[in-house]
Amino acid sequence: MEKLSSIGQLEWFRNKILSRKQEGIIEVHVCMTGCRAYGAAGIFEALTDEVKSQGLSKQVEIRATGCHGFCAKAPVIAIEPMGVQYQEVEPNDAGDIVVKTLKQNQLIDRLAYRAPKTFQPVFYRNQIPFYAKQERRVLANCGRIDPTNIEHYIAAGGYQALVKALSKMAPEQVIDEVQAAKLRGRGGAGFPTALKWKFARLAEGRPKYIVCNADEGDPGAFMDRAILEGDPHAVVEGMLLGAYAMGSEYGFIYVREEYPIAIEHLNIAIEQANELGLLGENILGTGFNLDLSLRLGAGAFVCGEETALMASIEGQRGMPRARPPFPAKAGIDGKPTNINNVETWANVPLIVKNGAGWYGEVGTEDSKGTKIFSLAGKVNNTGLVEVPIGATVKEVIFDIGGGIPKGRQFKAVQMGGPAGGCVPAQFLNLSIDYDTVQRIGAIMGSGGMVVMDENNCMVEIARFFLSFTQSESCGKCAPCRLGTTQLLEILTRITRGEGRMEDIDTIRDLGETLSEASLCGLGQACPKPALSTLKYFLKEYEDHIKEHRCAGAVCDSMVISACQHACPAGIDVPNYVAAIAEGEYEKSVEIIRERNPFPAVCGRICIHPCEYKCRRGELDQPVAIRALKRVASDWYFENIGPQRDPFPITREEKVAIVGAGPAGLTCAYFLAKMGFKTTVFEAQSVAGGMLGIAVPEFRLPRQVIEEEIQYIENCGVEIRYNSPIDAKHTFNDLLKEGYSAVFIAAGAQASKHIGIPGEDEDLQGIYYGLDFLSNIRMGQEVPLSGKTVVIGGGNVAFDVARTALRSGAHDVQIFCLEPRDEMPAWEKDVEEAIDEGIVINPEASPSNITQKDGRVTGIEFTHCVCVFDDEGCFNPTCDLEDSRLVEADNIIISIGQAADMSFLSADSQLERELWGALVVNTNTLATNVPGVFAGGDFTTGPTFVIRAISSGRRAAIAINKHLTGDDSPVYIPDEKSVRHTTTKLALEEESTEDKPRIEAEFEDAKERVTDFREVEKGFTEAEACREATRCLRCDLEKEENGI
Amino acid sequence: MQPPEIDLTKLDAIIDRHKIGKWELIPLLQDVQETFGYVPPETIEPIAEALNLFPAQVQGVITFYSGFSLKPKGKYVCRVCRGTACHVKGSRSILRLMKHELGLEEGETSPDYQFTLETVACLGACFLAPTMMINRDYFGKLSPTKMTSVLGEYRKKESE
Repeated sequence: MEKLSSIGQLEWFRNKILSRKQEGIIEVHVCMTGCRAYGAAGIFEALTDEVKSQGLSKQVEIRATGCHGFCAKAPVIAIEPMGVQYQEVEPNDAGDIVVKTLKQNQLIDRLAYRAPKTFQPVFYRNQIPFYAKQERRVLANCGRIDPTNIEHYIAAGGYQALVKALSKMAPEQVIDEVQAAKLRGRGGAGFPTALKWKFARLAEGRPKYIVCNADEGDPGAFMDRAILEGDPHAVVEGMLLGAYAMGSEYGFIYVREEYPIAIEHLNIAIEQANELGLLGENILGTGFNLDLSLRLGAGAFVCGEETALMASIEGQRGMPRARPPFPAKAGIDGKPTNINNVETWANVPLIVKNGAGWYGEVGTEDSKGTKIFSLAGKVNNTGLVEVPIGATVKEVIFDIGGGIPKGRQFKAVQMGGPAGGCVPAQFLNLSIDYDTVQRIGAIMGSGGMVVMDENNCMVEIARFFLSFTQSESCGKCAPCRLGTTQLLEILTRITRGEGRMEDIDTIRDLGETLSEASLCGLGQACPKPALSTLKYFLKEYEDHIKEHRCAGAVCDSMVISACQHACPAGIDVPNYVAAIAEGEYEKSVEIIRERNPFPAVCGRICIHPCEYKCRRGELDQPVAIRALKRVASDWYFENIGPQRDPFPITREEKVAIVGAGPAGLTCAYFLAKMGFKTTVFEAQSVAGGMLGIAVPEFRLPRQVIEEEIQYIENCGVEIRYNSPIDAKHTFNDLLKEGYSAVFIAAGAQASKHIGIPGEDEDLQGIYYGLDFLSNIRMGQEVPLSGKTVVIGGGNVAFDVARTALRSGAHDVQIFCLEPRDEMPAWEKDVEEAIDEGIVINPEASPSNITQKDGRVTGIEFTHCVCVFDDEGCFNPTCDLEDSRLVEADNIIISIGQAADMSFLSADSQLERELWGALVVNTNTLATNVPGVFAGGDFTTGPTFVIRAISSGRRAAIAINKHLTGDDSPVYIPDEKSVRHTTTKLALEEESTEDKPRIEAEFEDAKERVTDFREVEKGFTEAEACREATRCLRCDLEKEENGI
Repeated sequence: MQPPEIDLTKLDAIIDRHKIGKWELIPLLQDVQETFGYVPPETIEPIAEALNLFPAQVQGVITFYSGFSLKPKGKYVCRVCRGTACHVKGSRSILRLMKHELGLEEGETSPDYQFTLETVACLGACFLAPTMMINRDYFGKLSPTKMTSVLGEYRKKESE
């Protein structure tokens, strides 16, 4: 390459490159950076060979580029100008790609992106949702140009900004332009870049240095790496502009040695720019000089801090020093120095070239432009994402990131690495900006976003970050050196189950000291991960300390196997699954009943938290635990039946239980097992609570509940039907009648009202969800006809809609506030409902019910824009302009239930919360009246049956403790049932044969809606055996390792 | 077993390359590390002398940065990533298994100087989580099976 000696020669050179570019050439862009770990080099070679052997070398260019961003589907290639993107390409696909796509213009199905849900192939990049919502400005060249060839960068308009600055702008004007663009430091702190530049420009002293901070150390951040690898000249050009603006002659790029490809590409870029005369002395003949060189980091995180980085460049230990003086005044070698992050530098050419006006078209008032985020962790589309500043967390994680894999729940996103915090689910609508993120205790940081789902433990995450900062603390200042060690010790203790309640305050105190007294950002910010998890996940800390429970089921000391720990009742899942594999169904049911007296009910309607934590799910799909439980319990009732001998009564005290729902009956069952005489008072003529009156027949047949209740009665539990506890017969009377303890589990059975105009209970055609379900379940005729509108997005709403369909309604539509993917109903029910022809209308807020002659005629909805506000509180925002009237013959309102407290007399001594619920001790479920306990839905509001069961067992243990005078807290650790020895489970299997999960079959949707038959069919015994052997027996692994 | 022999005569050339420039201590040490696989303690004095520093200053820099090692490393340096994304995706189990497979703790080198096991704060390959690097090659989306097969490849390479 010949040296360019004037500005005009660069333009001349650019024209020459462009003219060489022939029309009609097809370019295949193979990512040779990130995708290299997936064998992109092999693909590149195979494609090149294939093109040669097909004689297409003149028409096709195979180009090694930087990252395409969509790393989840690596290796990725793009074909231009067609705009086609192929993913998960392998070297032996080269033949098809060249022959079919390049030669014959045919698209290849198997290499295309698949749309979620429909699984239709999407061939064109701009149609893939991952790209559609992005604004790729800084990353525009990344994945398009060959980063090792300066001609590509120049052809793409590179160094035009430099030409513009050198020929038309005074240095001050460059700073003014950057100021007008409101560019803020992309490294995390968000300091206005132009201001920093001004200080450096005005500072006295020569030479002046500029530095590119490419010591991207935040775990979870990789955007700088992608820019350096995929478009290194953008950084070089940005630094040239900065050097021109500040009057600097020396520049350093401080890059971490863990990035070998970035180092290689930077070296090439600097060399080529020097050769062309774009770096070095007398650049483009203008007399402007810049000597740019690389410095490699040597593996110290703290060197990302600017004063430490400068010390490292000077060849010293990379330890920070106090500021002021700031680097702009006294930096490297005591001379004025300006340090910016990679992404900040890469933004500068865009601003200078296109002007601040263009730049500011996207972004928020205070922060313009775009930000690159590296999306990683528990998210479908991991990769690099560039969005306008101000995009919401939800857009980034769900619209672009494609949501959480395996149907799990989003828990939080960690932003800003060890110096940042987590953004929990309630802030999904938060727009990402330096200031908003800071306000909720995290930082935008350099752009790392690590997504966490329900299987991550927030205490453990905090411990993880502290162990990182503790080991990276340079040790210069005492607060950081000692404080990080202390914090780490405390957090480790909590995750080991040895925490104390006062630890929580100590973390807060220590955190405050650290942030005020530490010398540099590392120490000042390091308590943030702990403080922000404490702020949003305090309960997880308390559960670890008090209950030895880990919500993510990851803390070794408290977890035997994740499935068991995830089960609110703590059933020894692997053990009963093993029994099923052996065909020992009776044994299996016995194991379940150690914690849960409702195996057949839970085998049908349990929401199975166990399956979401199943380790097999990491491999392929989780074991179908719920369906297995059903097989065993169905076999049990068919072959053994509910009969059994009652538990012997060995205790003197009698216990009364109010309400024969799952919580009450579970409590009664375990108390009977402990030897107490227990009596259950039930207001209705049937037992089962919600199971008996609300869950529809097609999900839970009557006979199943009856058999389970019969079994519990046979254990010695007495149920008194039609015996309400009310003003005539109060719980005080029960105590007087000789019951030593009372457990109130009266459920939550009062339907909530919406409170909108026209909502009149006496109106014909208005029903409330729970009443409607129970009337049908009790055999009353509720003849529906015509159009039925169901309001609500929860499980009851779906039961109501499906029951309505089976009760004569011709057409049933559900309207709910939430968007489709945020509805609280269980996904399985939603899918079954859709199969049955029920239409779901999300984002609809009811506003007015219309009537004529005492009959419902319709209902008006407004568009619900957002259910939760910025603070994460339930506070729907609706667009009142956007409304619609829906004709309806029936309206069934199912927006939730609450406990009906009316049976408690007004002068009851029971203490209530402000909003009316009973005050209970969460550990013992004791109320303020000695001997009176309360639990289940009654105290928590409506939840799932397995939680009610767990609450019932907890009450039984607490009551036993109370009656024996033991006032220690209730402690329910995971325990192994008697070990089931012989096993032929996956752990022992040598073969790696694929063994996908067996899915239960369903009755045909068209047929099943004609009556109330059970929708889901159970497994056959052969299926059950096969499915049960998929279990990996994590519990045994634990015993072997002796952890 | 003895660590592989090193040829200390190469040191002079390295020192010559870096003697003139400014702030060359770290680049020089990186060169030494690259050439010998570690920074042999006996090189400290000549380096200090050449750069006009105290040996303690050189030693201080070496021990500060995790990139430098005063002990010889194995032929294959396995660095298991312990970054956030990898952690969230289970790198703890990968590390546990690596320790078990290699019979090494973090920072240890096998007696035959074939393998060294290290952890690294973040490899910046979070989209591949959980990941590890063996020398300069990345391995991503590790599962216990994949990890064992990768190790097997390296072992096979050695026994051939």
